[in-house]
Amino acid sequence: MAATGLLLGLILALGCFSEICVAIISFSSLQTTLVVTVSHPRRLLRAGEDKITVRWGLNQSLPAGTDSAYKTIKVQLCYAPISQVDRAWRKTEEHFSKDKTCQFKIVKMPYTTGNQTLEWTIERDVPTATYFVRTYALDANDHEVAYGQNTDAKKTTNLFEIQAISGRHVSLDIASVCFSVFSIVSLMGFFFVEKRTGRKAQQ
Amino acid sequence: MGETENEPGSSMHGVSAKERAFAFSVASPKIPTDPTAKFALPVDSEHKAKVFNLLSFAKPHMVTFHLSWLSFFTCFVSTFAAAPLVPIIRDNLNLKKGDIGNAGIASVSGSIFSRLVMGAACDLLGPRYGCAFLIMLSAPTVFCMSFVSSAGGYIAVRFMIGFSLATFVSCQYWMSTMFNGNIIGLVNGTAAGWGNMGGGATQLIMPLIFELIKQAGATPFTAWRIAFFIPGCLHVIMGILVLTLGQDLPDGNLSTLQKKGDVPKDKFSKASICHDFHLHAFVLWYAIINYRTWIFVLLYGMSLGVELTTDNVIAEYFFDRFNLKLRTAGTIAATFGMANIFARPMGGFLSDLAARRFGMRGRLWNLYILQTLGGIFCICLGRANSLDLSITSMILFSIGAQAACGATFGIIPFISRRSLGVISGLTGAGGNFGSGLTQLLFFTSSNYSTETGIFYMGIMIVACTLPVTLVHFPQWGGMLLPASKHGEKCSEEYYYGAEWNAEEKEKGLHHGSLKFAENSRSERGQRVGSAATPQTSTTEDV
Repeated sequence: MAATGLLLGLILALGCFSEICVAIISFSSLQTTLVVTVSHPRRLLRAGEDKITVRWGLNQSLPAGTDSAYKTIKVQLCYAPISQVDRAWRKTEEHFSKDKTCQFKIVKMPYTTGNQTLEWTIERDVPTATYFVRTYALDANDHEVAYGQNTDAKKTTNLFEIQAISGRHVSLDIASVCFSVFSIVSLMGFFFVEKRTGRKAQQ
Repeated sequence: MGETENEPGSSMHGVSAKERAFAFSVASPKIPTDPTAKFALPVDSEHKAKVFNLLSFAKPHMVTFHLSWLSFFTCFVSTFAAAPLVPIIRDNLNLKKGDIGNAGIASVSGSIFSRLVMGAACDLLGPRYGCAFLIMLSAPTVFCMSFVSSAGGYIAVRFMIGFSLATFVSCQYWMSTMFNGNIIGLVNGTAAGWGNMGGGATQLIMPLIFELIKQAGATPFTAWRIAFFIPGCLHVIMGILVLTLGQDLPDGNLSTLQKKGDVPKDKFSKASICHDFHLHAFVLWYAIINYRTWIFVLLYGMSLGVELTTDNVIAEYFFDRFNLKLRTAGTIAATFGMANIFARPMGGFLSDLAARRFGMRGRLWNLYILQTLGGIFCICLGRANSLDLSITSMILFSIGAQAACGATFGIIPFISRRSLGVISGLTGAGGNFGSGLTQLLFFTSSNYSTETGIFYMGIMIVACTLPVTLVHFPQWGGMLLPASKHGEKCSEEYYYGAEWNAEEKEKGLHHGSLKFAENSRSERGQRVGSAATPQTSTTEDV
């Protein structure tokens, strides 16, 4: 009797635990408790130069104590659906371990109540695409428990575009031309010198 | 041997790993050593080396071997240099899956044409200049990567870099001027296999260089551009080494020997090619009408072609599917290409082993089994969900596909004696074409994921290897049917003689083919051991 009770209790506990596990690793089970806004100087931003200002905070209409489990805040730059087309490496998946929507970390800092503001210079390895900002609230175990984003659920409003750096440099271009010229000139040089030596040997 | 020397079409001679894969040397008195020659290695009457000593750097023979395979290796490194860096490049240039797929197709398509030109270039300029010209003229295309800023530019540059893969032709041609025909099989097989390794080495080298440059302070979108300078410089260095250390023939360079009168200029001149146009037309004709040629074109597309495709997609696949770091994905991808160091010669060796017992039928079965196993492991790779299973399947797939490449060239020399060069060239082109086709079908569209593409590619390999069952030699049989028993058709002489018309036979032009036919009786296998083994046959162990 006691053994059966223990077994049942174990199964129940396991069930709850797995439910919690599932809740932690799947996006759709998260609650939208944070409010996020992003302001930027213009519609098309330049990586490495422009800054965006991110503001986030708990939704004031929610009851107090909702944020009792929040220990850390993680703010990320995420791809909008239009930038995910034909690019499976940016695909949105339910499970966090497989999800590739948000690939750039803006900041990760301890959670404090009240509204927070951050000014972030767009880093130089951010590719050309359309983005939105999402903020995750993490608990003590570093698991996502809630989130907020500056766009709607369908990810169609308040998007902004970032133009990446080209990665090209004038010095690189010049070096490239010099090496190429050297290659061609040395080849032709060898060819003609050998031809001339051959002709001399014949004479 | 003399009359087929350096003839257009014979430049591919011995491209197989067929002849006694363990024949590292040819002993006297089978091929007599020239006592007057002062070379480090024993040479025959044409001063071609009779010994293949890997540990030596003896001038000119072994130096040529090392220059040759290193040039080919370098071109493989630069052709596939972009593949492990695609995760960075696709973000820099805002590429879609279709762009990446098209670039991969472009990288293997260019050499289909450049190989044809290379054959003619080697005939006209000699293999040293053929190699040097190609490798040094393609160096600017590698440096061009620093200019690329769009998908179109990326595809164009990869197409141009791909031309350099024609160094395969100069590599094989140069080997046949330096090494005796009885060991040329092993020499060429080793050179080709070690060159192909470049496709694996680059997956290791490029991410490493990229990380180092990033650590030195460059941003990722600049670091990958700088990384391309390394393969570019390798091109230039190899080109200079080939020009300074290499020579066309054992006795010296082509132009010097021509001027001295040691080498008749006709052999390498444009005039002789036009003059012999009808001869070349016949050579092409006999290659085209032989159905076996086309089966092997398809088959090689499913062994080498699939290998090239995988070189292009596998690093990105591991990076995305298993969330690995760039360098880790590159290291895993490298093991695919590096298996060439032993897998390709092993395929040729197994072909020889099977032939000793079962003759040509053994060779065909060997090829079928190796290639089908490659296809099955490719299917496993597409279906594997864990990293360990993926890596294991990939390694077994690589061994199967690359051994099949070696086994293919264990059979090619027997399809035709007269048109060997053309058939080898067509088969090689088929390999590149197969690569372009598989990339187009399975890795360019967004309709299915990369792993599904790999799965379908495995199915295609298994299905397209089935036609090897249709290959039948009247004198030796095929996979399913034995040799023909009736009439004159069941002789090697009839098969190889059929490539010459009556007029040519009267002139005695077919004697080389007859000699080859005599030697090829070993393809009947042991069970028909009563067939005469003439003294000149190559079945003797050395």
